[in-house]
Amino acid sequence: MTRQPVSRLGGWSVRAALAAAVLLTAYPTNRLTAQALSPRDSALHALNRLAYGPRPGEVDSVARLGVMRWIERQLDFERLPDDRLAVRERDFKLLDYNREDLARRYGDALRERQRMQREMAERGDTTNPPGAGGGPMREFRELGGQLQQLAVVRAALSERQLREVMVDFWSNHFNVFVGKGADRFLTPSYIEETIRPNALGRFEELLIATAKSPAMLFYLDNAQSIAPGAVLPLSRNGRGGRGVRAPRGINENYARELLELHTLGVDGGYTQQDVIAVARILTGWSIERPQQGAAFTFRDWAHDRGEKTVLGVRFPAGHGMDEGIRLLKRLANQHATMHHVSRKLCARFVADEPPDGCVDAAVEAWHHTNGDIRAVLRAIFTAPDFWAPQALRTKVKTPFEFVVSAVRATGAEPDETPRLAQVVARLGQPLYLQPAPTGYPETQVQWVNSGALLGRMNAAVALAAGRLPGVRVDLGGVVAASSDHDRLVSDVDARVLAGSMTAHTKEVIKRQLADIGDPLLARALAVGLALGGPEFQRQ
Amino acid sequence: MTISRRVFVKSGGIALFSLGLDPLFLERAAMASFRPSARPPDRPILVCLFQRGAVDGLNMIVPHGEPLYYQERPRIAIPARDVVDLDGHFGLHPSLAPLKGLWDNKSLAAIHAVGSPDATRSHFDAQDYMETGTPGVKSTPDGWLNRYCRHDREHADTPFQAVAFGPQLPRILAGTAPALAIDDLQAFGLRVPQEAARDRLTRAFEELYEGAATGLLASSSQEGFEAVQILKRVNPTQYQPASGVQYPQGRLGRSLLQIAQLIKAGVGLEIAFADVGGWDTHVNQGSSEGQLAARLRELGLGLAAFAQDLGERMRNVVVLTMSEFGRTIGENGNSGTDHGHATAMLALGGPVNGGKVLGRWPGLDPANRFEGRDVAVTTDFRDLFGEMLVRHLGAADVAPVFPGYAADPGRFPGAIKG
Repeated sequence: MTRQPVSRLGGWSVRAALAAAVLLTAYPTNRLTAQALSPRDSALHALNRLAYGPRPGEVDSVARLGVMRWIERQLDFERLPDDRLAVRERDFKLLDYNREDLARRYGDALRERQRMQREMAERGDTTNPPGAGGGPMREFRELGGQLQQLAVVRAALSERQLREVMVDFWSNHFNVFVGKGADRFLTPSYIEETIRPNALGRFEELLIATAKSPAMLFYLDNAQSIAPGAVLPLSRNGRGGRGVRAPRGINENYARELLELHTLGVDGGYTQQDVIAVARILTGWSIERPQQGAAFTFRDWAHDRGEKTVLGVRFPAGHGMDEGIRLLKRLANQHATMHHVSRKLCARFVADEPPDGCVDAAVEAWHHTNGDIRAVLRAIFTAPDFWAPQALRTKVKTPFEFVVSAVRATGAEPDETPRLAQVVARLGQPLYLQPAPTGYPETQVQWVNSGALLGRMNAAVALAAGRLPGVRVDLGGVVAASSDHDRLVSDVDARVLAGSMTAHTKEVIKRQLADIGDPLLARALAVGLALGGPEFQRQ
Repeated sequence: MTISRRVFVKSGGIALFSLGLDPLFLERAAMASFRPSARPPDRPILVCLFQRGAVDGLNMIVPHGEPLYYQERPRIAIPARDVVDLDGHFGLHPSLAPLKGLWDNKSLAAIHAVGSPDATRSHFDAQDYMETGTPGVKSTPDGWLNRYCRHDREHADTPFQAVAFGPQLPRILAGTAPALAIDDLQAFGLRVPQEAARDRLTRAFEELYEGAATGLLASSSQEGFEAVQILKRVNPTQYQPASGVQYPQGRLGRSLLQIAQLIKAGVGLEIAFADVGGWDTHVNQGSSEGQLAARLRELGLGLAAFAQDLGERMRNVVVLTMSEFGRTIGENGNSGTDHGHATAMLALGGPVNGGKVLGRWPGLDPANRFEGRDVAVTTDFRDLFGEMLVRHLGAADVAPVFPGYAADPGRFPGAIKG
């Protein structure tokens, strides 16, 4: 397949946007947002799914604006000011580093560790594994914590909520593991340069960006995939270099996950022969050594020069890196890919087991726009399935969604230490630390278990009491303390739970408050029970 | 103590109507209805200990009868005089001497040259394969112990069927069957310092969930509150190991102590998991003393204390160690060893066919090595794990536990008494 002419692509995007605009003006909002939903209900639903839950009062402001207009603003996120987040991002030094700096520092740290190891060997010191605790790698462990916390801060504070949700979605769809070797320093640039700029762009460009990203090439071993029989050229000084391992042939890991997870899906109609052919096409897609900056590089000598056939399509011999680009574009636009990724998007936005209607709508938009992610999302957000009453509150929050939505619901401010990200980890979802390329599952069964729920209750009570590490909370700005417990509970319902509290929950909380005289204590308990209770676990 | 799944009795009917599309909930509800009327007083228990980082099997179960072992490891081999001989050919690292009595009474076996059919030397991949039970397949979503729990319906009546000791559920127990991750038995539940306040808060949340939760949130929260109640009766703060038993300091000893405690409390534990790190000995691993010796000492003391603490109860308990791969036969330039292939695993307990080094030993001869440098794998780890499930826990069929693998009792290494 050849590249689409730019004008045609542009035309499609414009047409899709126009179509949506026409839809929006031609139908009154209540037609689109389903019969049964009030403006507040639709606003809450949209804030639960396109955002990390409402902040106090936000349901009303979105309802006043009109939920579809709010959704369009979220899709058109570049025009939303995000000054408060920009200020907070300055706390994160990791955003000042570029990959080359980090790569060299990582190379230096590796050498330093080896030097320490040699010294210990010479001294005959066998007491400690080198580098345990502190050591030269400490900087990179801290970098991982910063990266996790930055994700929490952005999700909690950004006005561009849908973009943050999509960054999380794609970071998970194209999962890498920050704990694996060079990914300790490659993951920050993966998030900043590969995922974020493409999160609401075109799927094809996102796919190619991930395929070329050093983090993915290292994580799924494509960096060391070498055509059988390829010969490592001698380095300039005539030596192969110490520690260079003998080439070990093609590595199918990335090829397999590319087909199974990133594009076609496990039932996408490919065979093991296709996996091997994809791996052969991608031989030579590799990365420079850390000391050279760890950038993407195509190693011509490692590339398989034979002809390949993938899904019945011939890739003639000798086209080098272009073979891979052609392959990725093809994969990005396969029907199986559109269906697999659309279904996953619907599982995120609509229901764990999404109805066919919204998936079909997303696939159709994908077809029409050549994978314009905004158009696909717009199709999902205007599908009747998205607004169906049975879609409301069916999804259980992931630990990340739970923590971030609790921070937002209480108007709290996470700090720049990794402590709040550690809370997310303790609840079962350490960010960027899922070793399996599947990423974290979207379905509730992964997240709902008894230990995890008790953990959430503890986190909720601690947050409300101002004892949760890594976050500053001032409930005074959210709910006024009051010794009138009826009023207090109804305020907590309105401001913290956005009106979703059941009568039963109100009764239980009021009973708990009955003998508590201190209004501050009563408020903290009411908020803690509300955030730890069953209503707040769903979205 | 009878543990009921009150949730199914109390709200199951309503939940079924209102959430008819919640397949896992239905599955769990179905399991509950299969609940046996009476539980056997002591059902078999499997305790898995994962040695993360790839333990050097050759210095743990030492082939001291093989001259090549000494030639390949001039600085780090265990001198023959220090080895605790087992059968004239193999012996224990001296740090494992506390286990010799268990060997002698035939409740300890070693399985040598066990490992993965996959050739990877990446910790990350190899641990993943060992935990999912699907070597070479990276996208398996759940762990094999969880799949076992899912297919073992008899134990679905306790929140303590499968417990991992650590802050998070490890991959081996991840999946749709309920499993608990407990970092500290004493801290499980709501964290409020005063007991009365803690009870009150627990009760408040319990009421909230009883009244307003549906589906999985209802059943899981109920399991959690039941677990809290049960642990309250068990009273972990008051636990005293059997007289004279001392667990080693550190995380491993603490995990083993808590596992022993849960077993003795009779809460229905069937699968326990703990992990222990520090085995990635690339540099200065030491010989009879040193880095590896210190890790093995902790392991040996821990296992010995565990067996002594459980005493007679060990008749139905098996502890199995595992590690993602072994290490190179030859020592490296840093007096350590690099990532290898096969390793050794230990099985300890009453049902164990003990006093033997099991598995086919491929020897250290270069012609029989894997890729010319490592101990070859002669026992697929799934044959050993499968034997534990079938012959110890009584699983009828391990095909769903190890997909893509044809289990054949003829290949079991014979770690469980016939």
